[in-house]
Amino acid sequence: METPVIPHRLEIIHAHKAHGGWVAAVLPIHYPRALFRAFDILPVEVWGPPRIDPTLGSAHLQPYVCSIVRNALAYLLDGRLNVADFIVVPHTCDSLQGFASILIDFVKPTQPVLPIYLPRGKRLSDLIFLTDEFKALYRTLAELTHREPSPADLMAAIEREEQADDLLAQLHHGRRNLALSQTDLYRLIRSREYLPAETFVEIAGAVVQSARSLPPPNDIPIMLSGIVPEPLTLFDALTQLNAYVAADDFAACGRRLYERGSRADPFERMAERILLAPPDSTRGSSMQDRLDHLTTLAQTTGARGIVFYDVKFCEPELFYLPVLREGLQRANLPSVVIEFDLNDGLTQQTQTRLEAFIEMIGGTQ
Amino acid sequence: MTYQRTPTQDTLRYQWNVNVIGKPALRLNRWLAQLRQPKPSPYLAPPLNITPRTKELIARHYLEGRYANLHRKVAWVTSGAPAEILKALNFYVLYPENHAALCGAARTVVDIATEAENAGYSRDLCSYARTDIGALLSGKTPVGKLPKPDLLMACTNICQTVLFWYQAVAHHFRIPLILIDTPFVYTTASDQAINYVWRQLDAAVPIAERVAGDFLSSRKLEQVTRLSKLAAELWMQIIERGKHRPAPISVFDQFIHMAPIVEMRGEAYTVDFYAALLKEVEQRIAKGISAVKQERKRLLWDNLPIWYRLRFIAEKLGAHGVALVVSTYTNAWAELAPMFDPKNPMASGARTYLHAILNRGTGYKLAMMQKMIADYQLDGAILHSDRSCKPYSIGQMDQRDRLLRESGVPALLLEADHGDPRAFAEEQVANRLEAFVEMLGE
Repeated sequence: METPVIPHRLEIIHAHKAHGGWVAAVLPIHYPRALFRAFDILPVEVWGPPRIDPTLGSAHLQPYVCSIVRNALAYLLDGRLNVADFIVVPHTCDSLQGFASILIDFVKPTQPVLPIYLPRGKRLSDLIFLTDEFKALYRTLAELTHREPSPADLMAAIEREEQADDLLAQLHHGRRNLALSQTDLYRLIRSREYLPAETFVEIAGAVVQSARSLPPPNDIPIMLSGIVPEPLTLFDALTQLNAYVAADDFAACGRRLYERGSRADPFERMAERILLAPPDSTRGSSMQDRLDHLTTLAQTTGARGIVFYDVKFCEPELFYLPVLREGLQRANLPSVVIEFDLNDGLTQQTQTRLEAFIEMIGGTQ
Repeated sequence: MTYQRTPTQDTLRYQWNVNVIGKPALRLNRWLAQLRQPKPSPYLAPPLNITPRTKELIARHYLEGRYANLHRKVAWVTSGAPAEILKALNFYVLYPENHAALCGAARTVVDIATEAENAGYSRDLCSYARTDIGALLSGKTPVGKLPKPDLLMACTNICQTVLFWYQAVAHHFRIPLILIDTPFVYTTASDQAINYVWRQLDAAVPIAERVAGDFLSSRKLEQVTRLSKLAAELWMQIIERGKHRPAPISVFDQFIHMAPIVEMRGEAYTVDFYAALLKEVEQRIAKGISAVKQERKRLLWDNLPIWYRLRFIAEKLGAHGVALVVSTYTNAWAELAPMFDPKNPMASGARTYLHAILNRGTGYKLAMMQKMIADYQLDGAILHSDRSCKPYSIGQMDQRDRLLRESGVPALLLEADHGDPRAFAEEQVANRLEAFVEMLGE
């Protein structure tokens, strides 16, 4: 199959605005896409972005704040988010909490800033709270847009997102049979960050349909874990090292394989889908849940080692590493930790460490 | 055949070590300390007379902790957690953050935190967390021994860090973790947030009861909450005495004497202690004793203390007649006192725990600093940009600018870490303090 043509982010944004829709710049990680779409607001995610001048962000944030948050602030202050009508900040970590607070209290961008608190558990009280939080967000959006989507509108939007998420899961799980390079696969997976569900379904659907049973690759299967795979040349480097990403546990990718909801109430359903997503440090999943998930994922996909590829200063991720690495080692799954800064690109040091690790697990076959 | 102690033997061992031997020894130690003359400082007032009693209280708390597993259930909790529920269920309550602060003051953090770092915990993580994880992995602690917890309670109203930190501890000990998740209050607390916290408090009770093997008495909870509130109110009055010129008590004194309000809330002896401290502070005012002998300038301190260099900074500022008279940090255990309603501990607790300063927006903290500047007649502020506390530190760069622009007072951003001296550049700090003091003028 040829490399799928994925429309550029700006192209999608301008097309959406041209027909009268709004755009929300959404910070990582979890948020109710369907709720925004029901208001004709296109959520476009902002994971940094990488490789920009962070100076403007550094005027407000200390050096020990991660580059995702710093870059996002620099990007906003540089006017690069002016195209957005809303800024949405899910409460993912202390740094994003601080980011939202600085925006609301000091930076005061022209767009409304909409924080969303995500509970750190999956108890009944968490479900009730998140449902209420989404209802409050609905009321805010209704006030801002003067629209009031009906429950049927909301359910229709949820259905579209669920269909897109089903296909996203098929891309993840069926990756061995897709005639795509690793880089192209991840470019497609990450296009979910800004493509409308219906466009994503169209493109990903064609890719999934063209899947055929391929002979098992000779490359060394590995798993990646972390927040976001940047830069995408990471996958080219891995391919050159004869490594094959059999599965991932990236917050931007594998931790957002939301299953279909079961509840009839649209708000409960959106909350349920997020709470039941794969274990995630930022949602406060237990160490054991994450360890079990990673072990199972590695075992079912044949991954022979795990690369924890983490953004520098990411506290939620760093806390889990000792327990995860020790548990994985017990399951004969070696791991390595590589920290990076979004503005660094793929450094020679990172490539050397990857090479050493892949050689090591390749040699222990 | 292995010898097993009976519960009676355990209780006897506890009574012998704590009440028969330990407490009288600590009391004797206090009397001896009261007889000793402290080394005089040319710039600072002598330590408060109550200091040996503070040390005795802290030592007694850790002495009870050392043998607590023989005698009662133990809970480890975060500093902003609703510990009153656990106190009312007769748990021995340990605050790992306080323990880490004590390690900081005792300058044992590097040795202990290294144990956690060797186990894979990054140096970019909070030094309190690294210290306590290092202590539980190695057994190293300046207090002799920490009791093994039967239950954990983490409340996210101070940071998300505690959630991950307690997840690691729960995994290590394989014990239940009660999470009280407090949605961040950007501007005002929503009804859904208050109801959410309330529901979690209600749900925490049966878990705690199960571990305690006892039922929560509403009368006991009310009594503990009342004592907590009384101690916090006294603490607030003590802090407010800093409005007097010259200030009778410095922020450094508050750092030293805040341990009981953090880790011994809900106890009658804590109320007695703060009543005595308030009395001494008032006596100082009456006698004209000031914390800094020649008070010339008055400053605010924002964020956690730099535990391992309290004396260094106090002397450095004191030499120039600069007094740190109020702090957003020590105030955190005072400002919520009026919100507590002992008659309605769960409902008022839900609202109270949501409104901890660290769970509120950067604008709220700025407004609080501005109010303190007006109320305490301050000339400037030192904002400790604490590597180990992102939620407290993020926002300080804007707050510093606004303090100057809106309140007309200069503010210094001081880079350090509350526990780890490896993030403290002494010469650089000294130079920055000197330059800042110079800028304050005569």
